Amino acid sequence: MKVAINALHNAQGADPGTGAPRAAVRRPPLSQRWRGSRNLLPALLFLGLFFFAPLIGLLLRGVLEPVPGLGNYEQLFANSAYARVLFNTFSVAGLVTVISMLLGFPLAWAITLVPRGWGRWLLNIVLLSMWTSLLARTYSWLVLLQGSGVINKLLMALGIIDAPLEMVHNLTGVVIGMSYIMIPFIVLPLQATMQAIDPMVLQAGSICGASPWTNFWKVFIPLCRSGLFSGALMVFVMSLGYYVTPALLGGAQNMMLPEFIIQQVQSFLNWGLASAAAALLVVITLVLFYLYLKLQPESPVGNAR
Amino acid sequence: MSAVIKEAAHGKTLVTLRNLNKHYGDFAAVDNISLDIQDGEFLTFLGSSGSGKSTTLSMLAGFETPSSGEILVEGRSLVNVPPHKRDIGMVFQRYSLFPHLSVRDNIAFPLAIRKLGSAEIAKRVDAMLKLVQLETFAHRRPAQLSGGQQQRVAIARALVYEPRILLMDEPLGALDKKLREDLQDELRQLHRRLGITIVYVTHDQEEAMRLSQRIAIFSHGKIVGLGSGYDLYQNPPNAFVASFLGNSNFLRVTASSHGAAAFEGQSLAIRLTSGLAADQDALIMVRPEKALALSTEQATREPLPAGWNEVNAKVGEVLFLGESQTCQVVTAGGTEMTVKALSAAGMPMQPGDTVKVRWVVADACVYTEWAESDLSKAAGAH
Repeated sequence: MKVAINALHNAQGADPGTGAPRAAVRRPPLSQRWRGSRNLLPALLFLGLFFFAPLIGLLLRGVLEPVPGLGNYEQLFANSAYARVLFNTFSVAGLVTVISMLLGFPLAWAITLVPRGWGRWLLNIVLLSMWTSLLARTYSWLVLLQGSGVINKLLMALGIIDAPLEMVHNLTGVVIGMSYIMIPFIVLPLQATMQAIDPMVLQAGSICGASPWTNFWKVFIPLCRSGLFSGALMVFVMSLGYYVTPALLGGAQNMMLPEFIIQQVQSFLNWGLASAAAALLVVITLVLFYLYLKLQPESPVGNAR
Repeated sequence: MSAVIKEAAHGKTLVTLRNLNKHYGDFAAVDNISLDIQDGEFLTFLGSSGSGKSTTLSMLAGFETPSSGEILVEGRSLVNVPPHKRDIGMVFQRYSLFPHLSVRDNIAFPLAIRKLGSAEIAKRVDAMLKLVQLETFAHRRPAQLSGGQQQRVAIARALVYEPRILLMDEPLGALDKKLREDLQDELRQLHRRLGITIVYVTHDQEEAMRLSQRIAIFSHGKIVGLGSGYDLYQNPPNAFVASFLGNSNFLRVTASSHGAAAFEGQSLAIRLTSGLAADQDALIMVRPEKALALSTEQATREPLPAGWNEVNAKVGEVLFLGESQTCQVVTAGGTEMTVKALSAAGMPMQPGDTVKVRWVVADACVYTEWAESDLSKAAGAH
């Protein structure tokens, strides 16, 4: 995903920056640019057969079942219970993105700053948590957060709270569990971006008169922007479509969109409404991706080339 | 070293380094350096990599803290002042421009930090763009500029807030030869026009000669030679500087009496040198271009003038180098020498010919103390 994002924005980023006249000179004629595209055919065929065809089939169900028309979409937006699901989905995804960014940024920075060997250790720990079974990790949070769980018992023993806090089977649990799961997806692109920043640029900032604080906000953060953007986008989009963690840590009342889709398919066999909801997810993701490309005109480490 | 003291008498001292040390564990990167930098001078730190020149510059900029010693600017200590409060300009080897800002914003950055009014900033940035001739590139990003252009932006960014001292850390190292020479000329003119104090670090001696009023030669964390390029080249204070700067011929001699020495059993006249006792080993250094090679017939036609030395040698190789020609010769005792002459003067020697190598006694430097490692070209790094 990261590779795809970078490749796309590099290809697109090269032109607006260089200015129209040079771009016109550099860009070869259309026929020449598409020369050799015949080699793409097998890949396109594979993609079309096994990705686009099923996807289109699914999306068609949204407008064809149970009766042709936009009835499913109307229902999705008009019904307040369904609107609530949408709201939950977005607020949880947003909150998870912010929290994992706040936790992931210092972690990525630490990995970049500590001596080489130590940084690799830290990174391996992050990766290891990512490779551990998702179910195992989610259940661990269940054990930790439940009413008789370690955290509640500890807080009560310390006299901070009198009654156990309700931290699972509601959105709090979902946000906690998902933030934890999403941190690696922020840390990895962010760390790669930070690693590529020339430390001399920060030295240049300070000799130009920037205090450490100013240097951080005026030089370091702007240079991290591409990593922050791609990490945040990935986390937000993944959170929108995440199922396992919300299903285990969330409650029946506060559903998120993926749970809603599963419920419609498995319990009610309402394929039409489910595919309408799925289509909505796809569209939202595409819009976000487009915005991301729009906001990223330049290469993250333009100077390094 | 007498030339140094003469130079120092000119301007007033702006920066004083006093017994400056920088240790990394047991390793002394900078070893007890003391140096006065004059107001408005162009001083170059010259040395091979690892000689301590860049570390000294980093301490001036504030990126490294000295292990001990003092850095004074007009009598005020800089050691505990963080880099952003030093008001020093710096140009880095790899330009280190802000990749996310346009050329204009890069140059405006130090002024924006200093919270100047936008009209004032625009005025000063325009003046700078004009000075470095980049007006038409103001809206480009650094990545869209060539190396030379990027370096000019870096210079503009370092000068725009009018620091009194400009530090330059091998700023032209990454550029090709022609562009480097153009920028060297621009830099020299810039220095003359602005009257700013420049401390420049390089390992390229030609660059150091071209640019600077004074050169400090670094070796093993110490300054081993300080003075104008002319003085350091013509009268190197020690054998290391002699071998480091340009090319040199070293002849091992044994002093016999005042003003005379024995070289491979032959008597040579040498400069009067204080501290040279009879029977003491000494080293004579003759620059290749100060020596003449004469064929046997030429030598018989032109008798040896007074004040000249002559040794017999056999030609090993004659090389044509364009504007000049060199001739490698070996004396009977096995000492290798190089003689260099302008091509126009001609050197009609063939390998195997016997020649007489002559030089003016006053042109040859005499050293009484040296280390064997000083005589090899690769010396100077740790």
